[in-house]
Amino acid sequence: MQQGDALPTIVKEITQLQIERYADAAGDHNPIHLDADFATGVEFGGSTLDGTIAHGMMILASISEMLTVAFGEDWLNGGKLKVRFRGPVYPGETITANGNVKKVNELDGFSELTCTVGVRKDNGDTAISGDAIVRIACSGLRHGRD
Amino acid sequence: MIDYSTLETGQELSKQSLTLDPDAVSKYIAAVDDTSNPTAEDGTALVPPMAIAALALSAVINALQIPGGTIHASQEIEFGSAVPVGAALDCIATLAQNSVRRDWRFLVVNMEATGSGGRVVMEAKSTIMLPA
Repeated sequence: MQQGDALPTIVKEITQLQIERYADAAGDHNPIHLDADFATGVEFGGSTLDGTIAHGMMILASISEMLTVAFGEDWLNGGKLKVRFRGPVYPGETITANGNVKKVNELDGFSELTCTVGVRKDNGDTAISGDAIVRIACSGLRHGRD
Repeated sequence: MIDYSTLETGQELSKQSLTLDPDAVSKYIAAVDDTSNPTAEDGTALVPPMAIAALALSAVINALQIPGGTIHASQEIEFGSAVPVGAALDCIATLAQNSVRRDWRFLVVNMEATGSGGRVVMEAKSTIMLPA
């Protein structure tokens, strides 16, 4: 991969059922995700919520999925991620995890790729933004799904 | 009810053993609708790495009895090595920062997950905001 290359996007529609499944799977039953009456009106980033929202880590999983598709085991072995959760994702919204290669450092025997990554909602709002770093053995570059 | 103002930097918040058995991993994969199917070159099924961070963070949330309305503000993660499905991990979380700004308390939590032989498989830093 080269500087400017896009990573394969991951698109998902978020449902309340999926949020409930995630709460059970991850053991996070914060009512902000599960109880619409509780969630409505809760302050979030300078505004107030209109109902339940997805777990940030659930949405972040789509970025990790994208990086796994793009880089395979190289992402799992030494990958780094730094993100901010910028805005809520409501059930019924569609998200797109996206990214591109911002910088490539050629080092001894491997390339270190710094990628801009994020999650965008279908209304254009950013839910997550940040950077990921992946080290790839020079003989092991992968492009998309195997 | 925890008095969050008494939590001190460096304090251990949670320590747990975590077994990433096939059922737990399958539930996670279904919940996040992950189709990446990470697999080692020898065909061993691998755990989606974000599952480790999610489960480690949930241990912190439960240990701290985090109140409803808490917001996850930012996340840093470094994966040390791939983890096969069925592996057992030890997860430890410590408090890195405890501060109040405006009406919010910011807790920064460091998490570390180690596998067999003490090998670090994940290090993470979570910033969460609680109503102060």
